[in-house]
Amino acid sequence: MKTKRHHCFSFCFIFLLTACGGGDNLSRVDSGNQEGVLHFGNGTEPQGLDPHIVTGVPEHHIINALFEGLVSKDPYTLEPIPGVAESWEISEDGRTYTFNLRRDALWSNGDPVTAEHFRWSWQRVLSPELGSQYNYMLYPVLNAEAYANGELTDFSQVGAKALDAHTFQVELENPTPYLLQLLDHYSTFAVHPETVLAHGSMTDRITQWTRVENMVSNGPFKLSEWAINSQIRVEKSETYWDREAVQLNAIVYYPTENTVTEERMFRDEEIHFTNVIPMDKISTYRNIAPDLLQIAPYLGTYYYLINTDKEPFNDLRVRKALAMSVDRDLLTETVMRGTVTPAYALTPPGTLGYQPPQTFSYDPEEAKRLLAEAGYPNGEGFPSFEILYNTLDEHRRIAVAIQEMWRQNLGINVELLNQEWRVYLDSQDNMNYDVSRRGWIGDYVDPNSFLDMMITGGGNNKTGFSDPRYDDLVLNVAPSKLDESERFEAYYEAETILMEDMPIIPLYTYQSRHFRHPSLKGLPPNILDYYNWKYVYLEPMPEFDIPDEL
Amino acid sequence: MTTEEIVTATQALPKGVSLWDDAWLRLKKNKLAMFGLCFLILMSLLCLLAPWLTPYGYEDQDLRLGASGPSMAHWLGTDTFGRDLLTRILYGGRVSLMVGFIATSVALIIGVTYGAVAGYAGGKTDALMMRLVDIIYALPFMIFIILLMVVFGRNILLLFLAIGAVEWLVMARIVRGQVQNLRQQEFVEAAISIGLSPWSIIRKHLIPNALGPIIVYTTLTIPNVMLLEAFLSFLGLGIQPPQSSWGLLISYGVESMEEYPWLLIFPGLALTLTLFALNFLGDGLRDALDPKASRD
Repeated sequence: MKTKRHHCFSFCFIFLLTACGGGDNLSRVDSGNQEGVLHFGNGTEPQGLDPHIVTGVPEHHIINALFEGLVSKDPYTLEPIPGVAESWEISEDGRTYTFNLRRDALWSNGDPVTAEHFRWSWQRVLSPELGSQYNYMLYPVLNAEAYANGELTDFSQVGAKALDAHTFQVELENPTPYLLQLLDHYSTFAVHPETVLAHGSMTDRITQWTRVENMVSNGPFKLSEWAINSQIRVEKSETYWDREAVQLNAIVYYPTENTVTEERMFRDEEIHFTNVIPMDKISTYRNIAPDLLQIAPYLGTYYYLINTDKEPFNDLRVRKALAMSVDRDLLTETVMRGTVTPAYALTPPGTLGYQPPQTFSYDPEEAKRLLAEAGYPNGEGFPSFEILYNTLDEHRRIAVAIQEMWRQNLGINVELLNQEWRVYLDSQDNMNYDVSRRGWIGDYVDPNSFLDMMITGGGNNKTGFSDPRYDDLVLNVAPSKLDESERFEAYYEAETILMEDMPIIPLYTYQSRHFRHPSLKGLPPNILDYYNWKYVYLEPMPEFDIPDEL
Repeated sequence: MTTEEIVTATQALPKGVSLWDDAWLRLKKNKLAMFGLCFLILMSLLCLLAPWLTPYGYEDQDLRLGASGPSMAHWLGTDTFGRDLLTRILYGGRVSLMVGFIATSVALIIGVTYGAVAGYAGGKTDALMMRLVDIIYALPFMIFIILLMVVFGRNILLLFLAIGAVEWLVMARIVRGQVQNLRQQEFVEAAISIGLSPWSIIRKHLIPNALGPIIVYTTLTIPNVMLLEAFLSFLGLGIQPPQSSWGLLISYGVESMEEYPWLLIFPGLALTLTLFALNFLGDGLRDALDPKASRD
């Protein structure tokens, strides 16, 4: 109680200070436009900045500025473009990639980036001792999975070789058409071995090497300030090979978890871009300043996991009844304010031209019938269960709406349980839940990015779903097809098997939602919500003001 | 003197007035306190009778309607799920008033007993008992309550008890101080000398004399526990949707106060008015129960 009061005082104090300090000074956005400094709302404080350790989206935004992989992506088309590798050759059978590293690629301390750095870094990611949660990104590489599982201890048998200082060769288990996309993921980036080793061993998870004074990186920007829970600042790197193309002088990332606060910062022209838009604000902005909204399709699915190991969810009819009694159109239109689209499968529609199957639709009558067949006519005798979600307003709203739909359509009693992020992840990992919310964002544009997590025992499966036919289709049949339509047929078949077993209840396909200041250019919306910072620039707009009516 | 006259004369004589009757008489004269009391009774009745007073259920959604301002159909408007706000305030009041009274009673009973015993016993017993209070007080409050919730499980009644179980500490200190002070006075010595048992002395002499500060602190505790409940519910430790309480309604209302101000204003009013009423009543009770106050 006492701390609360202190907060109150310090809040007033800060308010007074800022009120006095305001005056005629330029807003942060305006001065940033003049100096080429982007102020970016980044959601939460990053877990860390080691590319081989972190897993989140906020970290991704920062690491993408600090590091560059072999391949990069064009933010407009998402096509692979040269990064550290200036060119690459793919063998006839699609199993061998040879990358030619550019000679002017340098680390921020002036050392050249070499093929050996990549080989060393991949060994680091795949080392079981490091425990990287994203090491499966490299599993298409020959013997990588065996090395990561500890079945193989000799890294020279893994298909990643430095032929000379500037030639890096990758051999694959299967032709993997999306390999180039993986190489833009931070888990496949190179880190500077000497720097990592100066602050610990190769496989130490937490060392000082990511500190401002120690960090050595190879991207368009370098780390210049890290104030925990306040801001992270990166400045243009003078050693980056394509430094002429980089237009920003600095980017400042603000970890603002409270979306209402973030919106206020945006309105006061303190940040150019927000991490998200609070639901209640959407209609106001649509009416007054629709240009400030950036809402775009996003390669992600919001769904509920069902614990199929538990009674009564081990009954397929119960799972189907639950899935069929959710009115997704109503949910997306009202609770989500039409910012997302209903989903009936795990993979978002139109992923690289792939269309997922729709095996069911909203049908409360059929749902009721199935539930009665399972032994619970009108929900009688159905045990009360919990929907688990991590503490966030939006998840609560969705859960409250679904709770009511199930109560009305099926007559069953549902309770809500919210947990803090890490506790929630823990509950899922231990399958200690009944029904739990989950969102999955594609790491690359391919159905595989969604479907490979539901394989038997997959690290992100967590539903108890297991079907050997599915595993075979996803792990063996699809990757071996070189022809895209044949490959998608295999995925379609696999996803049909998945959705007929209904271990998950798909709810909607994500859309990315941001407030964006009109002076911010070169940050086009794309389905990965991917930003390539060297394309970004600011166009000063001194006469522009955010409308006061907002 | 006829029998009739005797009867009237007896009636005219001042009746024997007990301390409590006297306090009640004085309380009745205090208009603000009576207003507070009436308001609290009315509010409690409304909340209790909610199912018969409104045509809506607190969980009935009308998603298409969404958030709408006050209207004939929904007197206080609806929230973003199209749920009737008046209904939700009344149902929320049940939880808030209940947590207010139950948790405070728990704090009161433990705190007063503990403090009085420690203060009366003095010496080593007192030192030991108060150090225990210090230790519990030094525990981070959140950890303590989460621990209690883990042990007790998620149950609304137990939540009230858990809150009460942490709120008694300050009460115990206040009572102990008062009792220590009173213990030195002659009337206590007199009571001891005529052989009253320590428990009777605490009950009949010490606590009634310490009532003033106890009541003041109690009226401060009630709003505190109501807000605490909202805070815990927000963290997922208290009540869960679709149930509501005033604190929760307010914390959700704050998030959308610019778009839908009524979602903040009405629950806020309900809480504020109730707290005012409690404070008026508390003030009145303190004056009325003060045995040192002169009789008029």
